[in-house]
Amino acid sequence: MASAKKYWKGFGDLTSDPDSEAIETREFPTAIPIDPFLNGDGKAYDAQASRRDFLKWAGFSTAAATLAACEGPVVNAIPYVVKPDELNPGVADYYASTVYDGHDFSSVLVKTREGRPIKLQPNTSSGHYAYPNTRVQASLLSLYDIDCLKEPLIAGRAATWAQVDKRVRRDLDAATAAGQKIVLLTAPVISPTFSLLWKQFKQKYPSAEWVAYNPISNSGAVAAYQAVYGQTALPGYDFTKADVIVSVAADFLGDWFGGDHSRDYALRRNPNQAMSRHFQLESNLSLTGANADYRIPIKPSEQAQAVAQMYRAIAWGQQTRDPRIRAAIEALKKAGPAGLLVSGTNDGDVQLLVDAVNRKLRSRAYRPEAPVYLKAVTDAPVKGLISDMKDGRVGVLLSHRVNPVYDAPDSSAFVAALKNVKTFVSFDRRRDETASLAHVNAISHHAMERWGDAKPKIGIYTLQQPTIRPLFQSRQMEDSLIAWMGGVLEGVDAALANDSTATYIPPVTECKLTFHDLLKKNWTENILKGDSTWFSALRAGYYERRDELHPVSPADIDLSPALTRAENRYAKTGKIELQLYSEIGMGAGAQADNPWLQEFPDPLTRATWDNYLTISKVQADELGLKNWRDSKGALNGDRVNLSVKGRTVKNVPVLITAGQTYGSVGLAFGYGREKAGKTALINGNPIGVNAFQLYVDRDAIQTEVQIEKADGAHGFALTQLYDTMMGRGESIVKETTAQIYNRGKSDKSRYNPSEKLLTIDGKQPVSKVDMWAARDRSLGPWFNLSIDLNACTGCGACVVACHAENNVPVVGKDEVRRFRDMHWLRIDRYYASDMSYEKAEAEGRSEGRAFFRALEQPEENPEVVFQPVMCQHCNHAPCETVCPVAATSHGVQGQNQMIYNRCVGTRYCANNCPYKVRRFNWFRYAENDAFDFHMNNDLGRMVLNPDVVVRSRGVMEKCSMCIQMTQASILKAKREKRPLRDADLSTACATACATGALVFGDIDDENSEVHQLHDAEKNKRKYYLLEAVGTQPNVFYNLKVRNKIE
Amino acid sequence: MSSHYESPYREPLVLGDKTYRQISADIVKSVAGPAARSWWIAFGISLALSLWGLGCILYTIGTGIGVWGLNKTIGWAWDITNFVWWVGIGHAGTLISAVLLLFRQKWRMSINRSAEAMTIFAVMQAALFPIIHMGRPWLAYWVFPIPNNFGSLWVNFNSPLLWDVFAISTYFSVSLVFWYMGLIPDFAMIRDKVTRPALRKIYAVLSFGWTGRAKHWQRFEELSLVLAGLATPLVFSVHTIVSFDFSTSVVKGWHSTIFPPYFVAGAIFSGFAMVQTLLSVVRKVLRLEDYITRLHIDYMNRVILLTGGIVAVAYITEFFIAWYSGSPFEDYTYLSWGAATGPYWWAFWSLISCNILIPQLLWIRSIRRNFVWTFVISIVINIGMWFERFTIIVVDLSKGYLPASWSMFSPTFVDIGVFLGTIGFFFVLFLLYSKNFPVIAQAELKTILKSSGENYKKRRDTDAQR
Amino acid sequence: MRSDKTLYGVYADDDLLLGAVARMRREGITIDEVYAPFPIHGLDKALGLPETRLAVTAFLYGLLGLGFAIWMTWYMMVYDWPQDIGGKPSFTWGENMPAFVPILFELTVFFSAHLMVVTFLVRNAMYPGARAANPHPATTDDRFVMEISVRDADKPKVIALLKETGAVAIHLKHPEA
Repeated sequence: MASAKKYWKGFGDLTSDPDSEAIETREFPTAIPIDPFLNGDGKAYDAQASRRDFLKWAGFSTAAATLAACEGPVVNAIPYVVKPDELNPGVADYYASTVYDGHDFSSVLVKTREGRPIKLQPNTSSGHYAYPNTRVQASLLSLYDIDCLKEPLIAGRAATWAQVDKRVRRDLDAATAAGQKIVLLTAPVISPTFSLLWKQFKQKYPSAEWVAYNPISNSGAVAAYQAVYGQTALPGYDFTKADVIVSVAADFLGDWFGGDHSRDYALRRNPNQAMSRHFQLESNLSLTGANADYRIPIKPSEQAQAVAQMYRAIAWGQQTRDPRIRAAIEALKKAGPAGLLVSGTNDGDVQLLVDAVNRKLRSRAYRPEAPVYLKAVTDAPVKGLISDMKDGRVGVLLSHRVNPVYDAPDSSAFVAALKNVKTFVSFDRRRDETASLAHVNAISHHAMERWGDAKPKIGIYTLQQPTIRPLFQSRQMEDSLIAWMGGVLEGVDAALANDSTATYIPPVTECKLTFHDLLKKNWTENILKGDSTWFSALRAGYYERRDELHPVSPADIDLSPALTRAENRYAKTGKIELQLYSEIGMGAGAQADNPWLQEFPDPLTRATWDNYLTISKVQADELGLKNWRDSKGALNGDRVNLSVKGRTVKNVPVLITAGQTYGSVGLAFGYGREKAGKTALINGNPIGVNAFQLYVDRDAIQTEVQIEKADGAHGFALTQLYDTMMGRGESIVKETTAQIYNRGKSDKSRYNPSEKLLTIDGKQPVSKVDMWAARDRSLGPWFNLSIDLNACTGCGACVVACHAENNVPVVGKDEVRRFRDMHWLRIDRYYASDMSYEKAEAEGRSEGRAFFRALEQPEENPEVVFQPVMCQHCNHAPCETVCPVAATSHGVQGQNQMIYNRCVGTRYCANNCPYKVRRFNWFRYAENDAFDFHMNNDLGRMVLNPDVVVRSRGVMEKCSMCIQMTQASILKAKREKRPLRDADLSTACATACATGALVFGDIDDENSEVHQLHDAEKNKRKYYLLEAVGTQPNVFYNLKVRNKIE
Repeated sequence: MSSHYESPYREPLVLGDKTYRQISADIVKSVAGPAARSWWIAFGISLALSLWGLGCILYTIGTGIGVWGLNKTIGWAWDITNFVWWVGIGHAGTLISAVLLLFRQKWRMSINRSAEAMTIFAVMQAALFPIIHMGRPWLAYWVFPIPNNFGSLWVNFNSPLLWDVFAISTYFSVSLVFWYMGLIPDFAMIRDKVTRPALRKIYAVLSFGWTGRAKHWQRFEELSLVLAGLATPLVFSVHTIVSFDFSTSVVKGWHSTIFPPYFVAGAIFSGFAMVQTLLSVVRKVLRLEDYITRLHIDYMNRVILLTGGIVAVAYITEFFIAWYSGSPFEDYTYLSWGAATGPYWWAFWSLISCNILIPQLLWIRSIRRNFVWTFVISIVINIGMWFERFTIIVVDLSKGYLPASWSMFSPTFVDIGVFLGTIGFFFVLFLLYSKNFPVIAQAELKTILKSSGENYKKRRDTDAQR
Repeated sequence: MRSDKTLYGVYADDDLLLGAVARMRREGITIDEVYAPFPIHGLDKALGLPETRLAVTAFLYGLLGLGFAIWMTWYMMVYDWPQDIGGKPSFTWGENMPAFVPILFELTVFFSAHLMVVTFLVRNAMYPGARAANPHPATTDDRFVMEISVRDADKPKVIALLKETGAVAIHLKHPEA
């Protein structure tokens, strides 16, 4: 069966239709006319063709051969001999679907080419969870992972599904007979249809029990909601309604409860409308904190008190003791219904207080009546499960998309208890820490291969449909359950059971009723209810039922015990406290084997391929912990042993980060995975450390932490080595406050002065200074990209989107450490530093070295700005001028074009680029086992975008403004004989941006959005990066406005 | 004898009791005789080095530029540093033979041959780097203006790199013919003096059948004069154009209008230093003490002082302007406080001490005329000039406009190996030359023997007394 | 009246030779050729050789090179395949000319130098392996030879003059010998 892995050459292979089989057997679809040269019995004499004819043919073929010899190596492209009707070669198809792996949820449009999913894009028509984050987008790559299981296993050996079904059903029956439990352990499942299926399963196996498990717990919040509103869910929020947001360590732009708030939040960050004011109280510098107007550093243990004080102040009108949070409370009070308090803590009592505060405020942004089911599970069942397993009360354990052996704090207990489970069946495609212990691996489909549905929040239903035939012999978990319920026809089953050589027959052909049928039935009958059709719902990918929204009546509970508990929660705390968190890139670590995510630089630390202990400068100095740069500039750091309540994680690298509250340290989940796959290992050792080991009592806040310096140093792979703007702020990132901006809307010289150059006739704005006459650019489109520094939250979805769209190579930790990452689009992160020569002089640090050191040092609690930087497509491009072979020149649509196959690789262009956006292929990154990131095998390369060439070694590459996308739109418009519309035009990054920070379009088109933005009269915030260099970019920025009061 | 009169107060340029025949004999001796043991040892070492370098080059071409220490911010480092360094060294030769010829400087005659040889060999090393630093060196021919197989896509004449292509190739080929034309009469002399038929045949071929007819001599002198006239602007243009690689860019620290004169001065500075280094060795090994005298090194040291002074002024100007501009972008250019105190302080200070401070010793006459001192200082200057190019390229690139993309560079063993390899190859060529070629332009030298030869001067004095 | 004998007067010193040449010409004796190991200043005047026009050719070659460079830059950058390169006015040669100056200069020098050298070699009939025609190997070392073809009648007079002007040796070469 090992040989059964097959790469289809066309749909013909799969739907085994006679034509294609015939074609496979024959080399040429039509016979080659050779008879003129041979008569019947194949003898050359007395052939019909004359000698002359023969010479003609011979001459032609020689000429042809010669010509062919002039060409480069011939790459075989196999054409469709019989083209399936549903797809046109070279034309992308889009399918609305849903990605949900138990951690991240999103409605997506799956872009497929020649039947291969190659990109996950936002399903913008859906108003909810429309924008896939980094992890969801990257999950596509694992579809083509050569290392995942390709067939079901029994006891680690390949088996047929028949054998699997036989075995599992036997064990299920046995368990039922023995009165043992059958437990299905899954990540939170929000599929209505699955719940239906589960009911049926329980009918067959009454002892069956379904336990949902969330590696990063929301238990407290869920419990609180349950207590008040009597339903297992999380409250909904509407950030568009909030004028004042006070967040106590809630990373709602990153991973927080149900998520999906970035867009709403960003809508209110536009300074041209009423801009929301955002207070963030936190200990780790989070993505959300980085976007806040006011960021108040507090220790993790102070979160509860902070919320308690807010409760006292707002509910009981008491005075606030703590001066740090007074401003936030005043703002909340003033805002009233337009205020919103959110908290990231997993403490039920605190969440009760939060709920009370919001209700007291009558917050319009707080919407308990719109509950969220995503990730809404409590921890209690899991605890129960482990004890059941220990006592042998569990006969069969079925696990799906969970990895407790890795991410359960008490994983050792789980492993021990597992020994008393007779049969352990895992549905996961990888033999990860948990699945590798399974007796049976009944591998399930990748999200791209399966049917499914979901109900992330009330009234929102989404559908999941296969966009590719299963690559391997997997069967989706639901169908396996159906098969084990006895969905399989007895006869076939028996036949298969006896014939061990039988190959896999997909359930579609053999089951009475597949999950697909069930899904269809459930949707038409219970969800659509005739208001819409199955197919229109499938096309849309989602369906919304407003009629499910009902006002809720909160139970009236006495909060004083909760209040006292909250205030005394962390009565005794150590000197240093630990706040565990999850990175936007790696999350809980389910995709630790994903090269795109590993190489994705964390928005704040800009670190790749690592997790680390974040610590403040002062604290580090006290503990004698250092970071230092080596001779090639790469950062090294000391290592520590971190102990919490008797548990120790050894050799945790220390990264000194601005904004980390003194007295606290942070550590990210999701690393230190031993069996995630080769990508998660560097020469045999897992990347990073496993923070779940310290997730004691599933509490992200640990107050008793011992840190002792370990020997040895750790090498980081940072994509940015300097944190501040070195006093160059005004030409790199312009920013102002809402006050100044609104007051001075009319004359922007007060907050957005255009840079001036001294010329022979006085000081002139840079735009006026030009040596040459500008080209006539009125004809045809002229593309520009607008980047709004206010809307950009730094989430990095665009970075991964660019990766996927443009076949950007992954180079690995060592190369990133050598500062050779290949990202075409990077998000520079700058920490504010108010250091100036004057200030330095005042502090007596203005002398040479001291001054530069002072400039390099960010503030303790800095303001943060994210600046996406890609090729600026300059009209006066320095790179174009210096290329000796004219391999890069300007396009007629404004792009700065890079002609890869003309490039000889002098790298002069990269040196001369002020923005340093050009990337050089130092090695051959594809088809090279030295770079083992999926691009060195046929399967992995199936993810490549056929519209974008894979660059060869030794050539320069860079952002192309997604010219393949714009050209496709232009051709489409031509074919449809209509002018280009603004909606046609986009780039990968602009498409992926949830917050609309990136706007791409044609500035020659009056009614395009970018045209409005490009007009400096209309858009006062417009400025160019390093304008004074005079490169005249086609990418422009909108300056950052902070809603602060001076 | 009046035509040959020269002030008796001028020191003789040719020492010892030299006649025309004696000069010829001295030249032929080293060519005809077997090579000295020291020669073989030096040759062996150089050959080993150059082979090691070749290995590193092949490894680079086989694997990718990634085997060097470069990164996305610093696209050039040792490769172009070495390129500029070697080109600079080349300049002295042409300058000595061409410019001094135009100025009718007699002292050039006993050193110009070797200086020119050095030029040619140095430029060969230099030319190597623009080729191997390419990501796809097998396509290097694309930089020549030839129609390519993708249709009529031509080179970009706006690019300083392309100017380099023309400048370097012109410079190399012109220097080569200039050098060779000068060699022809000397080859003829050797042809007519050597006894071994094999050698005679070889030099017969090399000498192009030179006979020394009066008309030929007339043309020969015209040719030398015009070639010198052409080579003089050429030598200035070459390093000017090399400096354009930097000064026409937008990189802070590169984009500087004083680069052309300053680079030319620097080139002559390092070139003369290299000539000193080589001649100090050659005169000993080939026993040419009578031809390469204290006077010669004194004169060259004066040139070094002058050009060194120009370079120093340039440094100071750069430093001052960087500070005076008040632009934060200038804080880290290669001559600024940022560089002096930053991570590359060592490069900065070795540049300052090697190129500005130590050469000032040459103001002292005794040091200027001392072979050992000269040798040591010339080595120091060569090191300093290498660091100058290193700081210009690496320091300026490492801290560009956007602090977010600042980084640093550290060489790999391949970077170092390639550099050592070129040094080895240079000496392989120079040693072969010094063994088999007339290292002194004897035909020219004979024309000044009567005026500047020691014995003739003596004779004149005795005549005067009589 | 064809000369049937050739006299070679060998001198050991360039100044003596120079004097001798002057003397001979005063005496009305035509000197066919002079071989010298190094260029002797004023010898060509003394022999009455015409000025060489090598420099003129060099100038013409230079013009040729310049013209070629102008044509090439125009054809490749402006005419055949114009591109928008860094916003430079690469569609008119005149405006873009400053960028071409280095090319123009280098090609001028290149053509001038190389073609002149080629001319030099051609005019001297010099090429690798050409047979050397100097009467005595020492003429490339330290001997200066004057070649005179004489009629028997003049022979004694010429020999006398040679002796007088300080020839260290005199050879007589018969055409057949």
